[in-house]
Amino acid sequence: MTARSLESGAPARERAASPSLWARIWQNDAPGYLFLLPWLIGFFGLTIGPIITSLYLSFTDFDLLTSPDWVGADNYIRMFTNDPKFWASMRVTMVFVIFSVPLKLAFALAVAMLLNRGMRGLPLYRALFYLPSLLGASVAIAILWRQIFARDGLVNDFLSIFGIVGPSWISSPQYSLWTLIILAVWQFGSPMIIFLAGLRQIPQDMYEAASLDGAGKWRQFVKITLPLLTPVVFFNAIIQTIEAFKSFTPAFIISGGTGNPINSTLFYTLYLYQEAFGFFRMGYASALAWVLLALVGVFTAFSFLTSKYWVHYDD
Amino acid sequence: MTNRIDRRQFLMGSSALVAAGAAGVMPSWAQDANLRLTFWGGQARADRTYGVTDLYTAAKGGSIEGEFLAWNDYWPKLATQTAGGNAPDVIQMDYRYIVEYAKRNAIAPLDEFIGGVLKLDDFDADQLEGGKVDGKLYGISLGANSVATLINTAAFEEAGIEPPTNAWTYAELREKGEAFAAANIRNGMKMMSDGSGVEPMLDNWLRQKGLALYTADGKLGFGADEMVEWFTLWNGLRDAGVIVLMEDQALDTGPLESSMLVTGKSALMPSNSNQLVGFQALVQDKLDMCGYPRLEAGSGGGHYRKPSMFFSIAGSSASKEAATEFVSYFVNDVEAGKILGVERGIPCSATVRDAVAPTLDEANQIALNFVANLGDLLGALPPPPPAAAGEIDISLLRTLSQEVGFGARSAEDAGAYFVTEATAILDRAS
Repeated sequence: MTARSLESGAPARERAASPSLWARIWQNDAPGYLFLLPWLIGFFGLTIGPIITSLYLSFTDFDLLTSPDWVGADNYIRMFTNDPKFWASMRVTMVFVIFSVPLKLAFALAVAMLLNRGMRGLPLYRALFYLPSLLGASVAIAILWRQIFARDGLVNDFLSIFGIVGPSWISSPQYSLWTLIILAVWQFGSPMIIFLAGLRQIPQDMYEAASLDGAGKWRQFVKITLPLLTPVVFFNAIIQTIEAFKSFTPAFIISGGTGNPINSTLFYTLYLYQEAFGFFRMGYASALAWVLLALVGVFTAFSFLTSKYWVHYDD
Repeated sequence: MTNRIDRRQFLMGSSALVAAGAAGVMPSWAQDANLRLTFWGGQARADRTYGVTDLYTAAKGGSIEGEFLAWNDYWPKLATQTAGGNAPDVIQMDYRYIVEYAKRNAIAPLDEFIGGVLKLDDFDADQLEGGKVDGKLYGISLGANSVATLINTAAFEEAGIEPPTNAWTYAELREKGEAFAAANIRNGMKMMSDGSGVEPMLDNWLRQKGLALYTADGKLGFGADEMVEWFTLWNGLRDAGVIVLMEDQALDTGPLESSMLVTGKSALMPSNSNQLVGFQALVQDKLDMCGYPRLEAGSGGGHYRKPSMFFSIAGSSASKEAATEFVSYFVNDVEAGKILGVERGIPCSATVRDAVAPTLDEANQIALNFVANLGDLLGALPPPPPAAAGEIDISLLRTLSQEVGFGARSAEDAGAYFVTEATAILDRAS
C-alpha cells in the first residue's frame, strides 16, 4: 500500500513539475532565442559553416569546378618550403602592419588631444576627421590615391614648388607600399574617436594637481595621460592590428589586383585572393587563410600576455 | 526589357566575393524567355551588346539580363558563379579557358542544336573549328581578329614621322622610335608602350622564329636563350628612349583607360584588331593599326586569325535551347550585325559580313580591312594554350618584365628564371 502510493505519487509530482519547467523556458528564454534566431542562422550558416568548410578545403586541391580531393598537409608544406610568393606577401603585410599601426595610433592620439581642448564646433571637426575612415576603404579613394601619387599628381605638383622632381610614387617598387601605409594612417578616425572618449574619462583635477606641483605639459602627458589611457591604447592597438592584417581593398584597386609593381604591394590577402580567384586554387587559398588566422591569433595572444606589464586599469 | 549591371556597380560590392554572394541569393529564374548573359569588355562593347539584346527581346519577348566586367574581374566571378551552380545562361568565353570549362562540363556542347535553333550555314569553317573541344562544338565564335599595333596617327603627324605599316621591322621600331623621342612632342611622349610583358607580342616574335609559346602537348615551346634575347631587345629599346619608362608602364593595370595609349604616354601599343573600336571611343586622336613588327624585312607567319571570343552556354543552364537561339540570332542576324560592327572581331557569317561592311564607320572599316589583308603576316592557328598559361603570363612574364624594366633583375637572370619557373608551374598543373 505504502509502496504503491509512493509509486503513484512520484509521477504525479513530475507531471506537475514538467509543464511548469517547459512553460518557464518557453516564457523566459524562447523569446530571447527567437529574437536571436536571425543572427544565429547567420552565424552558424554564413560564418561557422564556411570556416569549417575552408579548414577541410585547406587539405584538398579544390579548384572550384571539380570536386575536391584530399591531399593531406601538402598545401601547408608547399607554402613554407616551396613558395617564394608566400614569403614575399608575408613580408609586405608585416611591413604594412609594423609601420601603419603605430603611425596611425600616434596620429589618432595627437588629433584626439587637439580636439580634447574643448574648442568650439567640436562635433563638426570630429565628424570631419572621422570622414576618411568612412571613405578610406572605398574604391573611389583608392582611385583618387592613384591620381594623387601619380607622376603628374598632386604630391609631385606640390614638391615641384620646391624644385623637387618626384617619381611616380604609386608605380615605383620602392615607394608604392608607403603610399598604402599613408592611406591607412589617413583613416585614423575610429581610433581617434575612441581616444577622445578615453581622454574625457581622465579626471581634470589630476592635471590641476600636477600643474600646482609644477609639472609641465609633457610631464603631464607622460605621467598622467598616457598611463590612464593605456587600456584604450591596448584596445585600439589590437583592433587596428587585426584590421591591418586583413587590409585588402586599397592594394587590390591601386594595383589592379596584381600586387605590382614587382609584387611590392602583394598583400597577404591579395595573394590569397589571386590564388583563389585568379588561379582557382581554392584548397591552397584556404590553407593561406588559416595561416593568416593563426598569425593574427598569435599576435593578439601575445598582446594580451604582455598587457599586464604595461596596461594600467584604474582599480 | 534588358537589365544591366555595370562594372562600377559591381565594384561597389567591393569584392568579387561579396558580389558572388549577392548573386547567389538571387533567384535564378531561368525560364525559357528569361536569359542571363555575361561578358567582359568596356562601355562601347556593352552599348552594342545591349542594343542587340533590346532588339531581340522586342521581337521575341522575354528578357535578357546582361552583366559586364573588365577582363580581370570577369574570370573570378564566372568561376565562382559556375562553382555555385549559378552561371549565367550565355557566357562570353575565351580561347584560353574554353578547354578547361568544356572538360568540366561547365559549358554545354551545342551540336544537338545545329540545323535547329542554331544556324551555321554560311559560318566560316575555321572559326567554327576554333570553338570545338574534342570534336564537339562548345563555343560560337563572335568574330575573327588578330593581334595588331594600334597607332595614334595625330601624334605621328605632330612628330613629323611616317607611322609604321604592315612591313615594319624591329629595327625600324628602334629607328623611328629614336626620331620620335628626338621630336619630343606632348611632354615627352614615347613612340611605343613597353611590350616586354605582353604575352601575345612574345608569342608573335617566337612564331616568326619558327618557335611557339606552347607546344601542342602543353610544354614550353622555347628556351632561356630566347627569353634572354627578348628581354635584352626591350632593354635596348628602353635605353634608347623608344618605349615608355617602366614606372609609367606599371600604371597600366588592365582596363583600357589605364593603358599607355589612352593616357597619352605612347603613340603605339600592342593590342588586338577588334579593340581599335573600344580604344577609339576613349581617344580624341584618330587611331589606325598595323601588324606587329617583323623580325626582319620579309619574315612573317607571326599573326593568325583567331576567334576573338565565343559565346558558350552554361552546362547548368535550364534553357539551353532558348539561349542557343539567342546566340544564333547574335551571330546571324543582319540588323544585329550592323549594331555590333566588328567590335568583337570580323563577323563569321558571310551574309552578315557582306551586309555590314558598307555600313561600318571608319574605325570598324580599319579593323575589317586589317584582318582581311594580313597577307604573309598570317600563320597557322596555334593549339589552345595549357591551363596554367594564364598563371605564367600574370605571375611570371609580367612580373619579370617589371623586374627587368626597373633594373631589379638582369635580362640573363630573368631569362633563366622564367624557363625554370614556367616549367615548374606547367608540371604542377598537369
